[in-house]
Amino acid sequence: MLTFTNSHLLLGELDYVEPASVDEACALLAEHAGEARLLAGGTDLLVQLKLERAEARCLIGMRRLPELRRITGEDGLVLGAAATIRSIARSALVRGRYAALQEACEAFSTLQVMVMGTVGGNVCNASPAADTVPALLAFDARAGLRGRHGERAVPLDELFVGPGRTVLHADEMLESLRLAPVSAGTGSAFLKLGRVAADIAKVSVAVRLDREGEHIRDCRVALGAVAPTPVRSGEAERALRGQAPSAALVQDAARAAADEIRPITDVRSTAAYRRHAAGVLVQDAIRRAWARAGGREIR
Amino acid sequence: MRRMIRIRVNGEWRELSVAGNALLLNVLREDEGLTGTKYGCGIGECGACTVRIDGEPVLSCLTLAVAVDGCEVQTVEGLAVDGRLDPLQEAMLDTAAVQCGFCTPGMLMTARALLDETPAPSEQDVRDHMKGNLCRCTGYASIVRAVLEAANRDGGPEMAPKPPALGAPRRSRGAPRTP
Amino acid sequence: MSRRPMNAIGRSAWRRDGVAKVTGAETYASDVVLPRMWHARVLRSPYAHARIESIDTSGAEALGAVCLTFADVPKVKYNERIVSTPPYLYRDRYVLADKARHVGEAIAAVAAPTEALAERALRALKVEYEVLEPLVEPARAMRPGAEPIHATVRLADAEVPIEGNIAVARTIELGDVGAGFAEAAVVLEREYVTSRIYHAQMETKSVVCRPEPDGGITVWPTTQSIHNTRQLLGEIYGLPLHKVNVKRVAIGGTFGSSIQMNSVIPICVGLALKARRPVKLVTTREEDLYDHVRYQTTIGLRLGVTRDGRLTAGHMRVLADIGGHNIQAYPLLSVMAGWWASLYRLPAMKYEGRAVYTNKTPSCAMQGFGNPQVSFAVESLMDELAEALAMDPIEFKLRNYVGLGGTFWGQGPSVQSIIRSDGAPELLRVGAEKIGWSARPAAGSATGRYRRGVGMARGFHTSSAGAPKPGEVIDYTGALVKINEDGSVDVVHAMMDHGGGTLDAIAKIVAEELGVPADRVGISPVDTRTTVYDVVTHATRGVYAGGAAAQRAARRAKAILLDYATRVLGIEADALVIEPDAALGQGVIHCPAVPDKRITVGALAKLCQTNSWGSIAAVESLRPVHCPPAFVTYFVEVEVDTETGAVTTTRAAIGSDCGTVVNPDLARGQLEGGLSKGAGYALYEDARWDAESGELLSRGFWIDSKVPAMSESPPLAGLETFFATTWEPTGPFGAKGIGEAATNPCAAAYANALANALGIRFRELPITPEKILAALQAAR
Ligand SMILES: Cc1cc2nc3c(=O)[nH]c(=O)nc-3n(C[C@H](O)[C@H](O)[C@H](O)COP(=O)(O)OP(=O)(O)OC[C@H]3O[C@@H](n4cnc5c(N)ncnc54)[C@H](O)[C@@H]3O)c2cc1C
Ligand code: FES
Ligand code: FES
Repeated sequence: MLTFTNSHLLLGELDYVEPASVDEACALLAEHAGEARLLAGGTDLLVQLKLERAEARCLIGMRRLPELRRITGEDGLVLGAAATIRSIARSALVRGRYAALQEACEAFSTLQVMVMGTVGGNVCNASPAADTVPALLAFDARAGLRGRHGERAVPLDELFVGPGRTVLHADEMLESLRLAPVSAGTGSAFLKLGRVAADIAKVSVAVRLDREGEHIRDCRVALGAVAPTPVRSGEAERALRGQAPSAALVQDAARAAADEIRPITDVRSTAAYRRHAAGVLVQDAIRRAWARAGGREIR
Repeated sequence: MRRMIRIRVNGEWRELSVAGNALLLNVLREDEGLTGTKYGCGIGECGACTVRIDGEPVLSCLTLAVAVDGCEVQTVEGLAVDGRLDPLQEAMLDTAAVQCGFCTPGMLMTARALLDETPAPSEQDVRDHMKGNLCRCTGYASIVRAVLEAANRDGGPEMAPKPPALGAPRRSRGAPRTP
Repeated sequence: MSRRPMNAIGRSAWRRDGVAKVTGAETYASDVVLPRMWHARVLRSPYAHARIESIDTSGAEALGAVCLTFADVPKVKYNERIVSTPPYLYRDRYVLADKARHVGEAIAAVAAPTEALAERALRALKVEYEVLEPLVEPARAMRPGAEPIHATVRLADAEVPIEGNIAVARTIELGDVGAGFAEAAVVLEREYVTSRIYHAQMETKSVVCRPEPDGGITVWPTTQSIHNTRQLLGEIYGLPLHKVNVKRVAIGGTFGSSIQMNSVIPICVGLALKARRPVKLVTTREEDLYDHVRYQTTIGLRLGVTRDGRLTAGHMRVLADIGGHNIQAYPLLSVMAGWWASLYRLPAMKYEGRAVYTNKTPSCAMQGFGNPQVSFAVESLMDELAEALAMDPIEFKLRNYVGLGGTFWGQGPSVQSIIRSDGAPELLRVGAEKIGWSARPAAGSATGRYRRGVGMARGFHTSSAGAPKPGEVIDYTGALVKINEDGSVDVVHAMMDHGGGTLDAIAKIVAEELGVPADRVGISPVDTRTTVYDVVTHATRGVYAGGAAAQRAARRAKAILLDYATRVLGIEADALVIEPDAALGQGVIHCPAVPDKRITVGALAKLCQTNSWGSIAAVESLRPVHCPPAFVTYFVEVEVDTETGAVTTTRAAIGSDCGTVVNPDLARGQLEGGLSKGAGYALYEDARWDAESGELLSRGFWIDSKVPAMSESPPLAGLETFFATTWEPTGPFGAKGIGEAATNPCAAAYANALANALGIRFRELPITPEKILAALQAAR
């Protein structure tokens, strides 16, 4: 039954704490057993609390954890979980080399949300439409998790269980996202369709191609908002890998991706549209990525 | 939970007792009487509640007051200095970019942040930066014109610099004008 | 009235409330704060259709809240929009519902010292419902045997039964339709479906009420009409009107959503009276989304035309889905007939309109009131007919349109007037030049992935609901103009300004009439106690009717002033003129033939005061007796990505014939705003309901109504607005209206542009990428 929520307010008492270390944050998570939530930018969490789709008694702020906001370029790219979408979009380490990630961050619906929202929040919120996730998948991102009992690294495509659900334990938090290094022959692109520009995706696609001469040595094709979690299309990747791109190949890959996904009909779009549009975006993204990788125009 | 926080609102340090669940929007509007910042949706979709925190445009409807302890908060009331309008405010009036005016405070805060960061934005920059501020009246064209116009004026060499505002975030230059 | 050069009208200046609005100082209803004020929340039905069995308020009262339920409110059935005359007012609601007729219907309300406490109290209310079959779709509501959503409604002094959930029906037939169609060489018949869109005004509906020691009340509401709000509150609560004071505060957009007295207003009043203290009620966006939408319509349209492009007959069938309450279905059906009859000359026409109750959010007027719907159908079909005849649509439309000397139905069949100014041909000519009409591609000839097309549609809106004889609609207004002791002027006018600049235009009209500088004319803050009646700011009547009343009052004040001037200057009043003197910042009264005889308005006014001659003020009322059409023409160019169905607006040229342009910059803003809302209607916006639960599919997200943002508006270089050079002889200084006209034909222009780009006609709004792609695939 529908409850009329009240977005004027946050209902319910809230404790707010700002731990000084990640360990302390994990301890707090454990201590409040299920009643505490990490608060990064709050652009998902506070909306969910207001619309009563989530509950919390204690919010754990991350302002005193500056190391989590850092973006570094050692051995690939490492994004602190609390790096804001805007800081990633504007980072010199990201620009060009991780074009798909930059485009994904710029595709965020509004400036204010880019300023407030973080990549960790985007990932941990586990929305199938999260914009950064296809791009992160395209760069083989590994999630660095830390809990009371230590650290572990989880490949991003194993992090999501379903809409809003991840493999994180109750006392665990995301510390960083480590993206694979890119080479001179790497090109990538991210494309998104919304109903209006300031919207979450009804379909999104990220593609990364590693070019070797006229061939695609390796590649990733990842899609958002077309399945219960952001997904990679293994079929499309298989179709492309080792091949020299041609119009026919690009079409085959797009068809493979469109066949593999499991889109639904909802208020934002229809399953049929999503399937078709996903194919179109995959083609467009491959062409862009290939051009960025220095490849010749695909005919 | 209630807690004391110190925030610098439009250049003035304030000590406030706030509840853990209090939203910055309501603290500004109700406790500080700064009703220029508006509620439009409460969930981040309209931008009417935009204020600047340490210079950045932020949605006050999705910001806990306790989480901005120690920060600089600028609201629309802090734009004019000593009764002198900011060039952006003037440009909004000159281009008739204000109709009902309910979106205007949020628009101004987002636009001021843009101009402080990008003094000579392109039309596309303006659209990208401001698409999170909805306006149902104007159709936006006049607002785009206002921001571009204000950018011209901000940088105009003939303009005398404004006296620095007491503690206000980094400000632009501009001379007073009368309608 | 002469076409002399003007000093105030036609000049742009900062709007009078501008500085307040850019500094955050403007007061909207939601900003009003009073001592001892409590906060209210409304309990809303989670069910689309349900009987209320019981309401237990004990839990809420235990928290210290004051509660209001059906049992507490006066048993007065009302209609919230008292613009129709009493015989046409369908009253079907109480302050709080006796039965839930849509999700979101107000069932009970609470007030408490803080909003948080009020929210807790609200959740402590226990309501038992008997859930009824939800009649969400019209077909289900009209099915024989369906549960009546309203068994009876109150019309005039009687309860009248409602059959088949049809709230009202209206048929109009003129001429011999059968013979007309028989004469036609080409007959096309199509069905058009328009969407229910949300007004998406930025300020949610809000109200503050303070009970007064004398038993009266003072109210600060979001409304388009302070006087109608007052009258209804007086009627419902049995208060004499002098004890009901409704204050004008700024409104954060409305577009028709507050044409009625908003249902939260009497709820807040009830709470304040019961709590004996001021109460504030600001609705949440979640609630507001369930409060109002544009009328959804299905329009069957058949038109016949001769080979040489003359319309012979038309038949229109309208089914309007009005939701759970009848706010204004009768006038809707009337005006839709009127808009149709006034677009093109039809020697014979038959119109059949029906309005059906459904268990959804009640519909109300939204910018254009039935006109965007009719224009979408008619302008689409006219384009298609032109194509069938191999005629240029502009030529075809010019051949048939209702122009100078024609009869215009400004508000249905009972509000008609003769057209005396007509900029329609000029708008078509200039717009065609600006967009490059003659160079547009042949329909469907474009190839490649990205295809461009140009479309055109024309239309109008009425300026006021004025007519020679009083009909079904009230249009009445008045103003007080007084000249202050320094020569400045106060205009006391009850009209609302929704942001379009109505009050600035009125100030300019007064300045022009009096001959004083425009910046010496102020708009007084007002309430219902200090103003004479104005019906409501709607029907694009602000400048035309409201301005005319102010002009009339100014003229009389001026006569008084000149009488005194005669006393001082010894020159006959008829020989005196008043002209603004910028250096003095004053109007100067002088006689051109006797240059040394002059006095400033201020000096004279001061003399009047010090000598106790009398105040220089006049109050006048006005009922307009004409309703001139404000013509508008849209040319839009779109680009379609045929792979994704995405549409971008690349160029637009919008022309308006509003007579004399009083506020040039604000008039442009009306057109640009009209494009944004029109594009939203054409391409994006739709409020969709779950057919079973009657819930909004958007579930509280405003974003799901897809209001266009800055990124959707066309590039500045591609956007042109322009004005016809007309003069309306019945309007103040040649002016007529603009507001609602600004959006009416927009959706049709988009549909025609898409037809031009793709060779495919879209007849259902919004025209989403999903629909475009499906149509392209079907055509392949
Ligand atoms: C108006 C609006 C528009 C939006 N548009 C977009 C869009 O275009 N694209 C898009 O992808 N998203 C969009 N979002 C969603 C949201 O902004 C993003 O998902 C954002 O990145 C979330 O980050 P945050 O820091 O605000 O997360 P928060 O809301 O702070 O947190 C989200 C969730 O992640 C958890 N969390 C946060 N950090 C960590 C961590 N380090 N370890 C473990 N858990 C953590 C939180 O506990 C919470 O459950 C939009 C939201 C709004 C309100
Ligand atoms: S009120 Fe904060 S974004 Fe709408
Ligand atoms: S001016 Fe009314 S919403 Fe922007």
